[in-house]
Amino acid sequence: MKKLALAVALAFAAGGALAQEKTVRISGFGAKTGPVRSFGINSEAAMQAAADVINKGGGVKLADGSKAKIVVDFYDDACNAEQGISVIRRIAGTDALVAIGPTCSNVAEPLFGILQKKVDDKTDTGLQFPVFTDVAIKVGLAKISEWAFRNVPNEMTMYSSLFYWLRQKYPDLKTVWGGVEEDFAHSRATWHVVMKDRANANNFQVLGESKWLLADTNFATQVREMKKANADIIAISAHPFSMCGALKEMQRQGVKPKVLVGLTSSSSLETLQGCAKQAQGMIIPTSFAPVTKEAKFAAEQTAKYKGAADLHSMAAWENMFILKQVMESEKISGDKSQVQADRRKIRDGLAKLKVTKGLLGDTKRTDDREADKPYLFVQAKGSEWVVLHNPL
Amino acid sequence: MLDFVQAVSDGVLFGATYALIGIGFTLVFGVMHKINMAYAAASIGAAYAGLLLLQVMAGAPPWAVFACAFLAGGLLGWLVYLACFHFIPLSHPLATLMSTVGMLLLIDEVVVHATDGMPQSYPAMFDDVMLHAGEFTLRGDLLLVFGVCVVAMACLLALLYRTRLGLATRAVSQQPVAAQLCGIQVARVNAMTFVVTGLLGGLAGAMIGASVGTLSPLLSGPLTVKGLIVTVIGGLGSIPGAIVAGLLVGGFENVFQLYRGVTERDLYVMLLLFVFLVFRPGGIFAARAGRD
Repeated sequence: MKKLALAVALAFAAGGALAQEKTVRISGFGAKTGPVRSFGINSEAAMQAAADVINKGGGVKLADGSKAKIVVDFYDDACNAEQGISVIRRIAGTDALVAIGPTCSNVAEPLFGILQKKVDDKTDTGLQFPVFTDVAIKVGLAKISEWAFRNVPNEMTMYSSLFYWLRQKYPDLKTVWGGVEEDFAHSRATWHVVMKDRANANNFQVLGESKWLLADTNFATQVREMKKANADIIAISAHPFSMCGALKEMQRQGVKPKVLVGLTSSSSLETLQGCAKQAQGMIIPTSFAPVTKEAKFAAEQTAKYKGAADLHSMAAWENMFILKQVMESEKISGDKSQVQADRRKIRDGLAKLKVTKGLLGDTKRTDDREADKPYLFVQAKGSEWVVLHNPL
Repeated sequence: MLDFVQAVSDGVLFGATYALIGIGFTLVFGVMHKINMAYAAASIGAAYAGLLLLQVMAGAPPWAVFACAFLAGGLLGWLVYLACFHFIPLSHPLATLMSTVGMLLLIDEVVVHATDGMPQSYPAMFDDVMLHAGEFTLRGDLLLVFGVCVVAMACLLALLYRTRLGLATRAVSQQPVAAQLCGIQVARVNAMTFVVTGLLGGLAGAMIGASVGTLSPLLSGPLTVKGLIVTVIGGLGSIPGAIVAGLLVGGFENVFQLYRGVTERDLYVMLLLFVFLVFRPGGIFAARAGRD
């Protein structure tokens, strides 16, 4: 009887402790359905894994000195702008303090548009909710709203460095031809705004470009253009499916550039699964490779949640730790009745950051709320991406 | 001039796959006067199913993968019939249309969940063969695709015009009531039509996978649109029409791409469709008779 009473007392005590355990919610959102589903799965896995590590370390320290555990939930926007906007409104209606996402730039651009443009602008009724993007990478999106922050690689810097390195390493190479997936916001912008410009800036002659669409099946005409141009370097700004189609057509037509350059997002498992043989030798600048102790640890933890570590998912991992740091430095209350005030503190904290810790080293934060992340160049070799050069 | 000839030949060869997809749409329409919007998605789904063979038997030859896709196509065709036509009242024109749209989305999403949307490398035959005539080239694998498509179409025509099943199919297509009075089981013929078009679709999916070298769920949307365009240009219900229109659309598409670029290409293909709808709404080979 005494034992039973003791057990009941212990159960009540444990229940009381559980009831008192504080939580802070971070919501993720991205594509978990549709052709880019793998991005959402990987981001969610990285967020869950990071939350797990943080919670095991005690959680987030709140203003009153108590600790709160991080709760992560993840919403599917299917890489669709309307759905993305609907999801962010839904998240803002919960007790989530901040959101990490989205996957696609075509979602990020209109979604940032519904956020309040300038903080404290009473005439602007836009959503006052901090969004910290991990994947959507199209150049310069965070400037749309002061509530938008990104921890995505700076492609301008990365390709500038890559073409500079190619100029030094292969002084005989003179010409560049582009292959661009014209109907996808990121790939299109990366070729027209970044790669082309950076190649020219490093004294390469850009001879032209072949264009195709994301779901194209026939690349014969485009590859014939490439063949005619006979450029030293072919730079392909396309996502894995169409890139693989183009690479296979290049192999058929015997197009063998001296150097093959790829899009940041393609330094992933998808490319190797779709066309490892044809992608051999392709060089891509990336902000992630498991080369440091921290990066290896993050990749291992993410794998436990069945996610793959790449430049996108590991940005989600980094975001979780950056947010923990911001929540603690800004002394959020964690009180559910103070959600909006806590969101504002997080926004202000993110805006104040000048440097954050990343898996490859320190990341500089820019005035327009973007990141200047460390990067390296990887190359497709066999069935994996190996580090070719570390420019930093 | 060489560029033009090259673009036409590449397009026409690849257009054989459009023709196969178009035949699937047109055959179902010819027999049941219904559009099966899930056809292209089922074809791509069947091509994915072919890849399962490589998981069970690593190093299986490409022809075995194609055969597996062919059979999976037949099975999927039957399942689509059961889910979208057999239990749904055919008298409601929108019911079957919407159910097949739902099936299209379902098949796509099953594929996405099974593969996480990652592109899958697809085996090909003769993909390293390139025939040269001066600067003019022909892809060996596309020639094979073209050949397989031609043989498949010939087999289909033989089935329709040389067998009892074909006779029954044509009878149901032309006079379903009379066919029923003659003892033909209309529901069975309808189901067999779906199995046959499914087999053809499985083959089309495999040929598309082989010619691109990679499979992605991204393919089913554009192929559905191309299949419908081919069906309308060829003439609803006309198999020879679907064949000619498939090759025509493939060729035109490549020529438009050569001269106007990829961003305008599809506009001109749509314009071509518009021209047909205005000046020859019945398509190249308008069907002479339909269901009463």
